[in-house]
Amino acid sequence: MHQLQAPGRAVRAMAEWAKHLGGIKGVVLDISGVLYDGGGEGGGVPIPGSIEAVEKIKASGLKLRFCTNETQATRGKFVAKLQRLGFNILVNEVTAPAPAACRILKERNLRPHLLVHDDLVPEFDQLDKANPNCVVIGDAADNLSYKNLNEAFRVLIGLENPILISLGRGRYYKETDGLKLDVGVYMKALEYACDVQAEVVGKPSKMFFQSALAEMEVEPQQAIMIGDDIVNDVGGAQQCGMRALQVRTGKYRPCDEQHPEVKADGYVNNLAEAVDIIVKQLHK
Amino acid sequence: MAARRVLKAVLVDLSGTLHIEDSAVPGSQEALKRLRNAPVAIRFVTNTTKESKRDLLERLKTLEFDIAEDEIFTSLTAARNLLEQKQVRPLLLVDDNALQDFKGIPTNDPNAVVVGLAPEHFNYQMMNKAFRLILDGAPLIAIHKARYYKRKDGLALGPGPFVTGLEYATDTKATVVGKPETTFFLEALSGTGCKPEETVMIGDDCRDDVGGAQHAGMLGILVKTGKYRAADEDKINPAPYLTCESFPQAVDHILQHLL
Repeated sequence: MHQLQAPGRAVRAMAEWAKHLGGIKGVVLDISGVLYDGGGEGGGVPIPGSIEAVEKIKASGLKLRFCTNETQATRGKFVAKLQRLGFNILVNEVTAPAPAACRILKERNLRPHLLVHDDLVPEFDQLDKANPNCVVIGDAADNLSYKNLNEAFRVLIGLENPILISLGRGRYYKETDGLKLDVGVYMKALEYACDVQAEVVGKPSKMFFQSALAEMEVEPQQAIMIGDDIVNDVGGAQQCGMRALQVRTGKYRPCDEQHPEVKADGYVNNLAEAVDIIVKQLHK
Repeated sequence: MAARRVLKAVLVDLSGTLHIEDSAVPGSQEALKRLRNAPVAIRFVTNTTKESKRDLLERLKTLEFDIAEDEIFTSLTAARNLLEQKQVRPLLLVDDNALQDFKGIPTNDPNAVVVGLAPEHFNYQMMNKAFRLILDGAPLIAIHKARYYKRKDGLALGPGPFVTGLEYATDTKATVVGKPETTFFLEALSGTGCKPEETVMIGDDCRDDVGGAQHAGMLGILVKTGKYRAADEDKINPAPYLTCESFPQAVDHILQHLL
């Protein structure tokens, strides 16, 4: 169980990072671990306070964008699920890896061998998949079988110029029944097997954050990212010049606050707390 | 070439060097006989994790190789030794056949993870199980980290990629007990009374057989059978002492030049 900070310390700690919120015009939200925990019947469970927090941001005049690496469904299906859970979210507010990957594949004339979740496949319908000259790997859950990994491996090892595109590089994510291995683990497996380096589409790639900021029409210095992954959400956003908060929900583990390389601009118990503080600062 | 060494021991890889699945590499049985006429100790070393020592012996006897059980040193043996030393209870991601070599080691309520070549266990559910144990502090022991191996139907992923993935997921490092670890090669020599400098290793895996052996102070001969792929010899530094067609040619070279 995560340790929620005692109110006294929390208030002083919050005051610190709240002082540095000047100039914030836009909020970028991670989804899994911030809005909800996936898995189980109904596809997931909202994190307490998150539905209201999203409403609060929208009512505040701040710009809002959702930035996710979730690739277990098309954007349409994924957003529909979140709407069913009560979230005020639209497809055109979401930056996700598959559409970005498709653009890249088209630009470079790449024909992908897909190792992705079944429900993501439709995102790639427009692409020629015959005679693949690259492999695209996503968080495919049970599709990450030995047989499927082997097939992807054989495509790569048979190419003179092996190209591996990974939709994210996360280590694990949280579902309602515990922590589960994320795409980054299998990306590393294929990198090791084929002695190649993957190209990452999705957090923490700079290009991915920049495209989200472009959609919002805010500069990095005017944006704040809120996520549960200290490296891919917080670290990635900071590398772009954004501020970033880590929530203590989702995949958060206490050791994240002592990460050797990444120091969040602030640590908050959950999205609701973060939004309360951000919106209060706005009105000062 | 460096000053002539005195050769006293020969280590021979099995899969890909003496045989490929159920076929012997042509001429190898006879080459082994000729090697036995020389004054050298011979050990058969293998990272094969799908078979117990007894299985290996059966197959080699069927292929008409003259080999004794105590001449075989496997990475399974090395793993078992480590488990006993650490006194841990493993989740064994190893082939069913290999379980024999772990008889007597308790596996209830595991607090360690052992990964061998076990395609049937490398599914998402089992990988998650292993991941959660390691995240909670269980040591990760890899029988070896081979990237891939040759099956009759083509190349196939070895345990290396899965071990690497688990290391990344948990931000830990596995203890590797098989080739190309130096301790594996040194342990293989125990009982022969020979030193690494007096030993030659023959194998088809440039990095794991030849690279590993040379790093341990031995000479390495790379054979172009099994998982060998063109220009593998350019991938290690220093390069193999010798690259040749197959085991019989390696034996020829030893008999003509190293004794």
